[in-house]
Amino acid sequence: MKFVRIIPKYDHLWSVKAPDEEVDELTLLFRKWNNAEYLLDFFIENFEDLKSFFKIERLDQAVEDTMKDAEALEELILEFPYTENLDQLFKPLDITDTRMSELTREKARNWDRDRHASWLRIYAIRLEPNVYVVTGGAIKLSRTMQDRKHTAHELDKLNRCKAYLKLNGVFDQASFVELTNEE
Amino acid sequence: MKNNMASKAIKFLEAHESETSSRFTEEATWRKENASWLRWSRQLAVILIGYMQDNGLKRADLALRLGVTPQYVSKLLSGTENLSIKSIANIEDRLGISCLIMANA
Repeated sequence: MKFVRIIPKYDHLWSVKAPDEEVDELTLLFRKWNNAEYLLDFFIENFEDLKSFFKIERLDQAVEDTMKDAEALEELILEFPYTENLDQLFKPLDITDTRMSELTREKARNWDRDRHASWLRIYAIRLEPNVYVVTGGAIKLSRTMQDRKHTAHELDKLNRCKAYLKLNGVFDQASFVELTNEE
Repeated sequence: MKNNMASKAIKFLEAHESETSSRFTEEATWRKENASWLRWSRQLAVILIGYMQDNGLKRADLALRLGVTPQYVSKLLSGTENLSIKSIANIEDRLGISCLIMANA
């Protein structure tokens, strides 16, 4: 598994780079979310979820909302204060991912969206406080990640990355204990 | 504090760093710097998507109505095309809509 640094000269945000992809996961994600044609295909394919979970029946609204949301989320990642405080942008994926444990699975989204909750998700593994590796992301229209094929795939990517990092002994128990004491 | 703590994880990531650098910052910065006209282009794509839904059209149908190739429709729908005023006027004439007014609505 290969990784790329997202912001030059900063150590806190990384992304997985799949061997069969031209670019890393984070770059790929925002390319998709900024392409209305891709979004149109996605929402046509997931129209029932859009209607039942978000009560939205207009494809143009779904595409427009996504692009605006992607712009806001991109801004959050680009903005210096947030890149220094990624722990505020990412939150544990579920109850099993408490930050007291090692290599937690995390999600980021635009938490302050108007009208309806944001359906954009960036998924990452938290290696240490403020150090994250993005494994992918999704437009999540259903309740759980297991509910749909594309989100289940992202869950699988998260789990595989976590397992890989764990297998390679990335987690540093000593420094983690030191940090929790400092906090 | 970060340097002490991040060392092991960061060293691992650096040791497994891809030779291909991330394009995220470059592309996101480009989108930010070009946000003003990109917003117009996206808005046009959104208008076309709404038009397609209202009229039950697929891409090929829209291409036919616009008198363009399906590839050109893909460009229009990408929301990243820097269109000329003449091109926008052509779309308006062909579809009987007013893009600039709709985009401002």
